[in-house]
Amino acid sequence: MGLELALILIVFLGVVILGSSRLGTMIQLFAAQSLVLSATPLLVHPGKHAVVMAFVTVVLKVFLMPNLLFWAIRHVSIRREVQPLVGYGKTLMLGGFLIGTAFFISSKLDLPVEETSNLLIPCAFSIIMIGFLLLVSRLKAITQVIGYLVMENGIFLFALLLLEKTPLLMEMGILLDIFVGVLIMGIVINHINEEFESTNTIHLTTLRD
Amino acid sequence: MLFILILLPLLSGVFAFLLSKNQQRKMVLLGTSFIHLIGVLSLWKSLPVAQLNGFLGMDVLGRLILTIISILFTTVSFYLWGYLKDEDNHSNRIFMAGLLIFLSAMTLVTMSRHMGLLWIAIEATTLFSAPLINFYRTPQSVEATWKYLLICSAGIALALLGTLFLAVAASKGETVFLDVLLNNASSLAIPWLKLSVIFLFVGYGTKMGLAPMHTWLPDAHSEAPSPVSALLSGALLNCAFLGILRVLQICAAAGQAAFARDLFLIMGLLSLVIAAIFVVGQSDYKRMFAYSSVENMGILAIGMGLGGIGLYGSLFHMINNAFAKGMVFLVTGNLYQIYQSKKISDIKGLLHYYPVTGIFLAIGFLAVTGVPPFGTFYSELMILNAAIQSGRYWVAFFYVLFLAVIFIGIAEGVLKMLHGGTKEQTANQTNQEDIRLIMPILFLGLIVLILGLYMPSFLDDALRESSKLLGGR
Amino acid sequence: MGIGVLVHIIIVLALSPSLLGIIGKTKAFLTGRRGPPLLQPYYDIGKLFRKGSVYSDTTTWIFQAAPVVCMAAALVSSLLMPLGGLEAPVQFWGDIILFAYLYGLARFFMIIAALDTGSSFEGMGASREAAFSCLAEVVLFLDFIILALLSKSLVLSRMIEGNILSSWQLFGPVLLLAGASYFLVLLAENARIPVDDPATHLELTMIHEVMVLDHSGWDFAYILYGSAIKLFVLGGLFVNILVPFHGLPPITQTFVFGAGMIALAVGIGVVESCMARLRLNRVPQLLIGAFVLALVGLLVVLTKGV
Repeated sequence: MGLELALILIVFLGVVILGSSRLGTMIQLFAAQSLVLSATPLLVHPGKHAVVMAFVTVVLKVFLMPNLLFWAIRHVSIRREVQPLVGYGKTLMLGGFLIGTAFFISSKLDLPVEETSNLLIPCAFSIIMIGFLLLVSRLKAITQVIGYLVMENGIFLFALLLLEKTPLLMEMGILLDIFVGVLIMGIVINHINEEFESTNTIHLTTLRD
Repeated sequence: MLFILILLPLLSGVFAFLLSKNQQRKMVLLGTSFIHLIGVLSLWKSLPVAQLNGFLGMDVLGRLILTIISILFTTVSFYLWGYLKDEDNHSNRIFMAGLLIFLSAMTLVTMSRHMGLLWIAIEATTLFSAPLINFYRTPQSVEATWKYLLICSAGIALALLGTLFLAVAASKGETVFLDVLLNNASSLAIPWLKLSVIFLFVGYGTKMGLAPMHTWLPDAHSEAPSPVSALLSGALLNCAFLGILRVLQICAAAGQAAFARDLFLIMGLLSLVIAAIFVVGQSDYKRMFAYSSVENMGILAIGMGLGGIGLYGSLFHMINNAFAKGMVFLVTGNLYQIYQSKKISDIKGLLHYYPVTGIFLAIGFLAVTGVPPFGTFYSELMILNAAIQSGRYWVAFFYVLFLAVIFIGIAEGVLKMLHGGTKEQTANQTNQEDIRLIMPILFLGLIVLILGLYMPSFLDDALRESSKLLGGR
Repeated sequence: MGIGVLVHIIIVLALSPSLLGIIGKTKAFLTGRRGPPLLQPYYDIGKLFRKGSVYSDTTTWIFQAAPVVCMAAALVSSLLMPLGGLEAPVQFWGDIILFAYLYGLARFFMIIAALDTGSSFEGMGASREAAFSCLAEVVLFLDFIILALLSKSLVLSRMIEGNILSSWQLFGPVLLLAGASYFLVLLAENARIPVDDPATHLELTMIHEVMVLDHSGWDFAYILYGSAIKLFVLGGLFVNILVPFHGLPPITQTFVFGAGMIALAVGIGVVESCMARLRLNRVPQLLIGAFVLALVGLLVVLTKGV
C-alpha cells in the first residue's frame, strides 16, 4: 500500500509540474517528486542495496540537482514560463491522454512484477511520458531540462523492478552520468543567457534549412 | 592494457585542465593521442582477456572501431596543433580537457562488455563532446550545443529504458553482460527483447544520426570547429553505431535478427531520403557535409539491414566513411581559416587561388560520395550487391537513386567553390597551406585511396570475423 | 420517512451557515484579526429576511423564481446525503444523477436570472459560470464513476458507506486522487479561492457574486442560504469520500463527520488565506488538471481490477 501511495504521489506531482508556470515552483516540485522517489527502493525491496540507492538519490536529486538548477537560472529575472507550444490546457489534456496510453500499454505487456505492485509499470511509463511531453512542449531551456529529469525519474521507477539484479555500481554510474549531464546543461544554459539575455529557446531557432 | 587505454586519456585530460599554457596543452594532446594509438595498434597482435569481472573486454568488432577512433583522433590532434595556433588569447583549457576525456569515453564504449556500462560510456561521450561544440561561443554554436545536448540526452534516456527492458527480457539470466546474454540468447523473453530493441535503436540511433532523430546533427556538426566536426562525424557516430551493433549481436543470437534488420532498413532508407532532400541546394558547406554524414549512417544501416554480404560491406563502409569524412571536415577547416565564412557563395575559384586546398577538397568530395577508386565506392557497391542478391530490388533502386541525388547535390556545392571567382576577389592570406594542416588531410585521403585499391588481409579477416559476430556467414 | 425528511432538513438548515462562519474565523485568525463572530452568516441571513426587495422593470418571473429554485434544489439534494450517523431519507438507484443535476438546475436558473436583468456585469458572470461549471461537472462525474466502480453501486449512500478503514488499505491512493480532484471541484462550485474570491468588491473580477448583484431582501437571503447549504452538502460528500469512518457505531460516525466538516471548513479557510485567486484563463487549466487527476484515479481503479 505504501508503494502504491508513493507511486500515485509521484504521478500527481508530475501532473502538477505539467500545469505549472513558475520556474522556481517547478524545480521545487521536482525535488519533492525525487524525495518520494527515493523512498521507493525501500518499499520495494528493503535491504542494504535499497538504503544506499535511497541515500544517493536524495543527495543527488533532492539537493544537488535542484540547487544546480537554481544556480543556472540565478541571472534569469523573469521566473515565469512562457506559453507552452500548444497552451497549458491542451498540454494537460495531452498529458492525461498519454497517461491513459501508458496504462493501456502496460496492461498489454506481460510483466514479471513479482512482489511489487501492478501499478509500478503504468506509473513508470506515465512519468516517462509526462517528462517527455514537458521536454518537447515547453520553450524555456530550464523547463526542458526539468522534463529530461522527470523522464529519468520515470526510468528510475522502472529500474526498481530489477533492484536486486543490477550491480550497485551500475546504478551509481547512471546517476552520476545524469548529474554530470545536468551540470553541463546548467553551464550551457548560462551560455545561452549570456548570448541572448534570455533563456527562451525561441531564440535558438536560427539554424534551419 | 585495456585499463591503460581508458585511464591514460582521462588522466591526461585532468592534467591538461590543470596546465596553464595553451601550447603545453596541445603537446599533451598530441602526446597522449600518439601513445593511445600505439597501444591500440598493439591490440592487433593479440586480443587481451576480459578484465574487471567481465565488464571490460575487447572483441574483433570493438578493436576495429577503436582503431578507427584512435587513428582519427591522432590525425586530428596533429591538425589541431596547426589549426589553433592563432588563438592564444582564447583559453583552450576546457577544450583540450574535454577532447581527452572524450577519447577516454569513446575507448570505454568499444570495450564495454556490459550493456549498462555501454550506456554510461555513450552518455559520457555526449556530455564531454558538448563543450567542444561551443568552443567559439557564438549564438549559433550555443544553439547547436543546446540542441545536441538535449536531443541526444533524451534519446539516450530512451536507450536506458531499452537497456532496462533488455534486463527484464533476460531475467532468467539475471544480468546484461553481453557474453551472458549471447550465451543464453535462446532464453530471452521475445516480446521484451523486441521492445528493448525498438527503444535501443531509437535511443542510440538518435546519437548515430539516423532519421528521424537526426535533427541535431546538421547543427552540431556544422557549428563545431572543423577538427571537432571531423571527430564527431568520423568517430562518435561510429561509437553509437557500435551500440546498435551490440543489440544486433544479441538479436542474431536470439534468432530475432530479421526483426532488427527490418528496423535498420527502414531507418536507413529514411535517412537517405532526408539527406537527399536537404543536401541539394545547401548554402553552407559544412552543413552540406553534415547531411552527407546522415546519408552515410543511412547507408550503414541499410547494409546491416540487408544482411549477408551487406554486413561486411557496411563495416567496410564504416571504415572508409570515417576517414573520408574526417578528411573532408579537415579540408573545411582549411577553407574556414582562409575565407572566414561558411557559405558556399563566399568561396570561389579555389583551384585557381589555393590549388592545394582545392585539390584536396575535390579528392575529399570524391571520397565521401563514393567515386572509384576510393574505398567508399567499393563498400557502397557491396551493399548494392547485397540488396540485389537478396532480391530487394526496390531497396536497390531507391538506394542508387538517392545516392545519385546526393552526389549531384554535393557536386554542385563543391564545383561552385572550386571554380569561378574574379580578379577582385580578396581573401585572408593567413598561413596559407601550413604543412600541419595539409599532412593530416593527405594521410587520411591516402588511407581511403589505398583501401579502395587493396584490401589488406588482416583487415579482411577482421571484417569477416566481425560480420560473423553479427549473424553473417 | 416523513419525520426523517423533516429532521434532515432542520439539521441542514441549522448547521450549514456555520461552515461559512468557521471559514471566516479561520481567515481572520490567519491574518491576525479577530474577525466577525462565528454566527455572522445567521445574522446576515436574518437581516436580509427582514428587508424588502426591489425589482427592476426589465426582469420577469425568472428573476424572482431563481432564488427559490436555488434554495429548493439545495435542500432536496441534501436529502440524498447521509450526515454522519444519520441515514439519507431518500435513496434510490442512480440518485447521484439527480444529485448532480439538481445543482445543474439551480445553476441554470441562476444563469438565466442573471441574463434576465439585462446588465452586462451579470451577463459576464453568467458566461464565466457556465464555462467553468462545464469542466467541473466532467470532473465530478469522473469522481462519481470512481466511487461507483469501488462500491459497485449507483446509490449515493451505498457509494459512500463502502469507505471503511479496511478498504483504505486497498484503495487509499485512488481515494486520495478522487478526493484531490473533488476538492478542486468543491472550490470551483462554491466560488472559493482560487477559482473565485468571495470577498472581492470589484465586479470585473467576480464570477458568482456578480450574477446576484441585483437580488435583494428575501431573494438574496434565499441565495445565500442556498449556497451555504450547497457548501455543506458538497463538503459533506468530500468528508465522506476521504474519511473512512463508516462501519463504526452511528454516534461515533456523527462525531467524526462533524469533526471532518469543521476540519474541511478550516482547510478551505487556510487555502483561501494562503493563495490568491487565479487569473481567469488559468481556472480552466486548473479544472483540466483536476480532470487529469480523476482520470489517473480511474485508470488506477481499472488497473487494479475492480
